[in-house]
Amino acid sequence: MKNLKERYEKLYKIKSLMRFKTIISTLEGIIFGTSEITAGAPHFVDNMDIKRYMSIAIIALIPSAAAAVYFFRLHAVELIIVSYISGGIAEVLFALIRKRDIEEGFLVTGLIFPLILPPSTPLWVASAGIIFGVIFGKELFGGTGRNIFNPALVGRLFVTISFPQIMTSSWQLPFVDTVTAATPLGLFKTAHVLTPYIKLLLGTSAGSMGETFRIGVIIGGLFLMFTRVSNWRIPFSYIGAVLLLSWLGNFFLPEKIAPPLFQLLSGGLLFGAMFMATDPVTSPYTLTGKLIFGFFAGIVTVLIRAFSGYSEGVMFSIVMMNGFTPLIDSFVISLKYRPLRNER
Amino acid sequence: MIIKKRKFTGGYTFKNFKGVPSDKFINLNIPEKVIIPLKQGFGNEVNATVKKGDSVTAGQIIGINDESISSPVHSTVNGTVEDIKKIEYSGKLINIVVIKSDGTPDFKPGGAETSGWKDLPEEKLEEVLYMAGVTSLGKSGIPTRYKSSAILPDEVEHIIIDGVQSDIYNLSLSLLFAGEGLNQFMEGIDVLKSIMPRASVHIAVNKYQKEIIKKIDESADNREINIYPLDPKYPQSYDEIIIPTILKREFPFGFKALNMGVIVLDIQAVLHVYEAAVLKKPLIERIIALTGPGFTENIHIKARIGTQLDYLIKNRVRPDTPLRYILNSPLWGDTVSDLSLPVDRTISCISSLIEDREGEAFSFARPGISKDSYSKTFVANYFPFKKTIDTNTHGEERACIFCNYCQDVCPSGLIPHLLYHYIERDIIDDILLRYRIFNCIDCNLCSYVCPSKINPAMYIKQGREKLIGMGIDQKESVLKRFKLKGVDENVKTGIKSK
Repeated sequence: MKNLKERYEKLYKIKSLMRFKTIISTLEGIIFGTSEITAGAPHFVDNMDIKRYMSIAIIALIPSAAAAVYFFRLHAVELIIVSYISGGIAEVLFALIRKRDIEEGFLVTGLIFPLILPPSTPLWVASAGIIFGVIFGKELFGGTGRNIFNPALVGRLFVTISFPQIMTSSWQLPFVDTVTAATPLGLFKTAHVLTPYIKLLLGTSAGSMGETFRIGVIIGGLFLMFTRVSNWRIPFSYIGAVLLLSWLGNFFLPEKIAPPLFQLLSGGLLFGAMFMATDPVTSPYTLTGKLIFGFFAGIVTVLIRAFSGYSEGVMFSIVMMNGFTPLIDSFVISLKYRPLRNER
Repeated sequence: MIIKKRKFTGGYTFKNFKGVPSDKFINLNIPEKVIIPLKQGFGNEVNATVKKGDSVTAGQIIGINDESISSPVHSTVNGTVEDIKKIEYSGKLINIVVIKSDGTPDFKPGGAETSGWKDLPEEKLEEVLYMAGVTSLGKSGIPTRYKSSAILPDEVEHIIIDGVQSDIYNLSLSLLFAGEGLNQFMEGIDVLKSIMPRASVHIAVNKYQKEIIKKIDESADNREINIYPLDPKYPQSYDEIIIPTILKREFPFGFKALNMGVIVLDIQAVLHVYEAAVLKKPLIERIIALTGPGFTENIHIKARIGTQLDYLIKNRVRPDTPLRYILNSPLWGDTVSDLSLPVDRTISCISSLIEDREGEAFSFARPGISKDSYSKTFVANYFPFKKTIDTNTHGEERACIFCNYCQDVCPSGLIPHLLYHYIERDIIDDILLRYRIFNCIDCNLCSYVCPSKINPAMYIKQGREKLIGMGIDQKESVLKRFKLKGVDENVKTGIKSK
């Protein structure tokens, strides 16, 4: 291993490769681990790093991704590959310009994005979406850690608005190539039909690729919370708010607002609450802020589902609350830290 | 009386690590040479009372200063003074006394009295403790009327004895209490109580040491002692954390426990008090644990103070790998690069970690049988495998992703990443004060857990220094809210004149 590393380090001496130094050093970090040591106290640090953090998020997405591949076969695989390649190119280009290591966060974005697309999305649309998401959702703000909006959702929003025909009307059912159907939420909106819960749980209803197999989404989300990669507060308050408001709403306006359990198990609510609202960068970091964030996202979701032209509101609600994140944080912090008496 | 269910929020429990010292215990031979710093611990430097060439006996006072806050320093071996010189020691230029030893192990008992300590008047007993040097133990000393501490014994309201073992490596409680240890400990408490009659005594013990808690409770008899079984969660042992946990009083951050009328001592300090009062033995030797994976054997050693580190660890380190030596805990201790430096009164462990510059292939994807993590993503989080530590950072530095780990573990309720973002951009002003930067107790947990390998503790330290340089601190508002004792007049007038 040591030998290999020495050989690898010779790459740094090749002048023509210096333009791609960031790629070389990123790969070195992945393959050989770091040779950095702690500078002082604490003399030893936690073994967790961002690579593992993101790997855990990817592992949590595996049930959803596997279900997508199982339901939609080759096209799902193609979408995932296209998303990784085209988004990856955008990411690497920015890393080269910035002369910094490639950030691992993209690996999660690149997998989440295809999972929230309708199964029949053409590859070129997916490619355009992820590139837009990476550039306008993340890199223009300064890269991972500085972005305001969830990059995968920015990409999804872009394709939804740019290609409405493709994105909202053609929902393909699992295992069959040609038949298209409305999503359960669409069915409720137009025909007031409630899809059976078992169908919703197992994923045999129409919907985005990764969101329909809800048992897998729940397992993955719980795994994330259990490993402390995501915080339970946001899914808890998000789903709680949806259940509460739809229970109240269904009581008064049963025509417009679907019953709580149906709201919970349809559309992208579980997927969004477990994997996208919990994105640490774009959600509040204060603990109370997380509860506020989830609560309002839940309310917005129910309102959009009931009263807007779209049948699904998870994406809009999370992006909207992403925008409110800095405000929520500074509000909570100003309450938490009262000024000291001698402060000038 | 056992008082249960006290805890604090935040913190992290380090458990199941390799390199924890076993109960094995050896007496180190008398070294050929000892180096005695004339400033050990919190007090001021004392004046040497011996000259080059003088012959000294173990237990003889070689440095004393009755005018400033300090305790006497003793020769710890029989022999001759070889040199007195200034060296840099723990960041300050101070005088050291080099003594060449003749190898004999006996020592000169302090004090002429033959009667037991119970018959001594209070003043005499305080003198005995002061002259034995034990009053310098603890973060701010044991108060006597001899200026060993910033307050007087009558002002002490609480004595807290800390055996929580919250650090990653700790002295073994069962070793300290072995044999007559527990009875001596209790008698040590009696001594402390008789010089500080107003104080109530609290003992905090690792709650998993059930046997020991039981024994302490039994041998406490009718003494009024409160025993607190506490979770060994780091940094429970810090004064700033243990006092609110036990006494349920807010801590005046920026001041010391002493200013609240509380003194916090460890168990070994109480045993030293016993030795000083009953056996008339001055503070010349200590039990020191060799901890960490760098030692071939993790044991406890009783060594004379002033023993050079290389003599202490000789033949006990792994020869095959580069090591880093740390005084006390690897979480907050300092690196020692010069092994000719001595051990002093403040040291209870010497840790050695493997200096790992190699890295590990695909380390992020491994199951992690012996890896510790705050996140529960390694196998070692679920099974009782022994975990190992080294100095590698286990990952490259990345941008902060607001994962909140630092906020979750912070025992003082700060948001370390928030402070980091301000200080990193060099925004140093009152806003840091509002975010309670001065409540940071330097436990370094935020830097330990950070998956982005940022060192927030270091940034916070820098920010605080810059703020103090600008004349901003929170002492004024703290002084207004608390009734504090023994606060330096300079501090008070300094704040008033501002």
